[in-house]
Amino acid sequence: MTVEEFRLPDVGEGVAEGELVTWLVAPGDRVEEDQPVAEVETDKALVEVPSSYDGVVEELFVEEGEMVPVGDVIISFRVDEDGDAGEATAESDAGATASEAAAGDDEADTTEPDDEADAIEADATETEPATPSGRTFAPPSARRLARELGVDIAAVDGSGPGGRIGEADVRAHAEGGADAGADGPSVGSASDAPDPKPAPTPTDVGSGGRTSAVKKRDAGGADSETGAADAASAASDAPDPAARETTLATPATRKVARELGVDVDDVPTDDTRDGEAFVTGEDVRAYAEALESEAGAVDAPADAPDPKPVDVSGSADAAAAGGTGPSAAEPSAPGAADETVPYRGVRRTIGKQMERSVYTAPHVTHHDTAEVDALVEARAELKPQAEAEDVKLTYMPFVMKAIVAGLKEFPSLNSELREDDEEIVLKGDYNLGIAVATDAGLMVPVVEDVDEKGLFELADEVNDLAARARERELAPAEMKGGTFSITNFGAIGGEYATPIINYPETAILGLGAIEERPVVRDGEVVAAPTLPLSLSIDHRVIDGAEAAAFANTVMEHLEHPLLLLTL
Amino acid sequence: MVVGDIATGTEVLVIGAGPGGYVAAIRAAQEGLDTTLVEKDAYGGACLNRGCIPSKALITGSGLAHEAGNAESMGIHADPAVDMGKMVEWKDGVVDRLTGGVEKLCKANGVNLIEGTASFVDEHTARVAHGGEGQGSESIEFEHAIVATGSRPIQIPGFDFAEDHVWSSADALAADSVPDRLGIVGGGYIGMELATTYAKLGADVTVVEMLDDILDPYEDDVKRIVRERAEELGVEFHFGEGASEWSEGADGGYLLHTETEAGEESTYGVDKVLVAVGRQPVTDGLDLENAGIETDDRGFIETDDRTRSAVEHVHAVGDVAGDPMLAHAASKEGIVAAEVIAGEPAALDQQAIPAAVFTDPEIGTVGLTEDEAEAEGFDPVVGEMPFNASGRAMTTGHTEGFVRLVADDETGFVLGAQIVGPEASELIAEAALAIEMGATLEDVAATVHTHPTLAEAVMEAAENARGQAIHTLNR
Repeated sequence: MTVEEFRLPDVGEGVAEGELVTWLVAPGDRVEEDQPVAEVETDKALVEVPSSYDGVVEELFVEEGEMVPVGDVIISFRVDEDGDAGEATAESDAGATASEAAAGDDEADTTEPDDEADAIEADATETEPATPSGRTFAPPSARRLARELGVDIAAVDGSGPGGRIGEADVRAHAEGGADAGADGPSVGSASDAPDPKPAPTPTDVGSGGRTSAVKKRDAGGADSETGAADAASAASDAPDPAARETTLATPATRKVARELGVDVDDVPTDDTRDGEAFVTGEDVRAYAEALESEAGAVDAPADAPDPKPVDVSGSADAAAAGGTGPSAAEPSAPGAADETVPYRGVRRTIGKQMERSVYTAPHVTHHDTAEVDALVEARAELKPQAEAEDVKLTYMPFVMKAIVAGLKEFPSLNSELREDDEEIVLKGDYNLGIAVATDAGLMVPVVEDVDEKGLFELADEVNDLAARARERELAPAEMKGGTFSITNFGAIGGEYATPIINYPETAILGLGAIEERPVVRDGEVVAAPTLPLSLSIDHRVIDGAEAAAFANTVMEHLEHPLLLLTL
Repeated sequence: MVVGDIATGTEVLVIGAGPGGYVAAIRAAQEGLDTTLVEKDAYGGACLNRGCIPSKALITGSGLAHEAGNAESMGIHADPAVDMGKMVEWKDGVVDRLTGGVEKLCKANGVNLIEGTASFVDEHTARVAHGGEGQGSESIEFEHAIVATGSRPIQIPGFDFAEDHVWSSADALAADSVPDRLGIVGGGYIGMELATTYAKLGADVTVVEMLDDILDPYEDDVKRIVRERAEELGVEFHFGEGASEWSEGADGGYLLHTETEAGEESTYGVDKVLVAVGRQPVTDGLDLENAGIETDDRGFIETDDRTRSAVEHVHAVGDVAGDPMLAHAASKEGIVAAEVIAGEPAALDQQAIPAAVFTDPEIGTVGLTEDEAEAEGFDPVVGEMPFNASGRAMTTGHTEGFVRLVADDETGFVLGAQIVGPEASELIAEAALAIEMGATLEDVAATVHTHPTLAEAVMEAAENARGQAIHTLNR
């Protein structure tokens, strides 16, 4: 029996991360190969992630709603090779004595009896660098970490061969020397929000300034006559930090640890992988809970550490200045009545796309109204025929055809500006994107080669794409390759709008509702069906006159639908 | 197009698009900073246009021709004819591809490129005179500046690069024919690389050097191997002599006059004189004083370990910031400058910067020599592997040289490496990684190396230092 980890697979072209929306399985569930285990929402699509194993779900590493980079472990399966699925679970509760004993040794190695806060400030010569020249041997990654944490690397004790300094050594040093209450800052996770809770401080038993888990025994032992004894006894049933030097854990587990302010090296476990201790998210949570209940037992507020939030941004300035307070630029905290809605997945993609379009292309919107008596008649005439062929005929295919007529006459509206190459590409295809409102947000599926398709064929295709867009069943490829877009806001209501171009396209036509409106004919105001049009263009590429002329051609084809036959 | 002075603003202004400047600009743009890069003539700087890349192209070309004509022992009989014009044309093609690539990379990363010459107006403003007549200028307000203006060959009195027969290294890399006789003033790495190249192309090369050996900073055994090989190729050396002047010779060529410290004069018949006595920083026209920056007595801008000049928001990287004047050092400094500006905890904290000389054979060095290690207070242990014990070296026909590793005896940390021999410029990378990572001799020795390769010599040298070499006698 083995436990297999399963990583979030590449779920689509160029998709780097996805939001894990729903788990379809829970630990203990038996799954078969190819059975969907989770729903993941990427930039534009909701996809089901199938298992690649037969087995029993061992652990879920990601919370619902979490963003997961492609390649991160999301779930592990217990894969049975000899059919026995149940036996190994009980072992993990067995006593942690062995690891504790080992932990004791480690402490002796990595702990300096002197107050390290002093050592940092002291001249480098006092800290006995590993070499006579004062040079420190550490890989670039550890040196960078030291700068991030504001640690003088010359003062760090290396635990590697010959005193080589690893990242763990730098962290241990930073924790030992840092302000009380500041748990080891997590590194490289600028995107994580600072932990709002004060980090659990299991080791602060009254000796002041000592916070590192590694420090605990020294603090309690050496200072026992100075009144630390009762504190030590109060802490006696607290979990002992394992204080390993290295620990295997998945990125998700490490994240949980960071969020809970727990060092994975301190989390007790009997589980190993390849001979290294292996810690799961459950272990971390259990340990964190144990710590918290202990922190409650010790009279925490009395010598409560500075309630400074831990700076996890890794900013050198902040670290160097010792200032870890919240920055002035922080967004205001939501009020009690406010609701926060995550800005990611489809919502964020739409937002970014809109932002890019508006900030890149200077928009101008041209408005006009087509009088569409003839179009209404034409559709009414074709409708029975369409129904006989099981096609739901809307006005959309007519509009699409009319647009193609306009684009053929004015190719600059069917274009893309490639600024870097200093060229405008006039597209040879007529692929029209149709904006569709869905529960998750705006989707723009693309109908390809509109010029080559008949009205009924277009009607079918639009209906199918729109329906599938609403069901979130579109493949990413079905939303690519558009050369011009249409937005039918009139379907919901309204006459005119200022549509935003589906960048890098250069134009978009918005359709108002077809309704009877007053028009003037032969000096009389009469009621007639009209179609308000709102055409937004990228003014870098298209001049206003061109836009107006294009709109005229489109209107002409809508007002005289027989012209569509000439295409 | 725009005549007159228009004002724009940028977060980061980078002056000079060489390997320091363009790398800094790209990283700054990657950090999300609005970045403007000003270049006055050629993207890629001296490195791509007049230095590293063109010289390596000609070194490869001349080496290939020479190799093919001198492989009788392998049973190859050939007498290659070299069309120098064509070789230079090929070299130019390589350069164009690379410089075009630099420009594209900058654009793709969102760097604003401006062609022109920048000078400081005050601490936060620079004026850029656009290239070409009547093109106007613009003022650019910047929050941070990175000066990366590089260096140019030093000219010596009596030898004006404007003269046709007086070459700078740039001229030597753009020649359309091979001179019959080439005099080279300076036996440093540039002089030696070009001496080797032109000797292989058939020129009679004479090197005049003031010191008593070539390649000043290198150890004697390294120098000797390169010098002896150059002599084999027909290069004549005159040490302890300085070039004083040139005069026209009776044969239509020129005479290169030299003088020893004692006043003894000599003359050598030449057709061209290459002056390669070093490079000096380019800061003229920058009006650094307007930004409050002074240069040191050699003209360099002094910087700290975060590449900042005395005026903190103005950084300097590359040759203009002083030694080591190496393209890869410039690039590293450029990255650090951009990251520091972006607020990242970057610093020039590398343990060592490797260096390579593309002579025949090549030299690659990194970190400390045995003497330097001793001077720094280490108790150094040294291990060597001569290439004449390397099977792969024998099969290339080049067995001169060795790999030497210097390490701390007590801890085993690798401190330095000196490699002279085939592909030394490539082999040095492994030693650089070992030093940077804090690897020990044991780490290097225990890393399995591919057989049969030249790189095995690095492993063997580490084993030799530990007294456990298999293929050489342990010291």
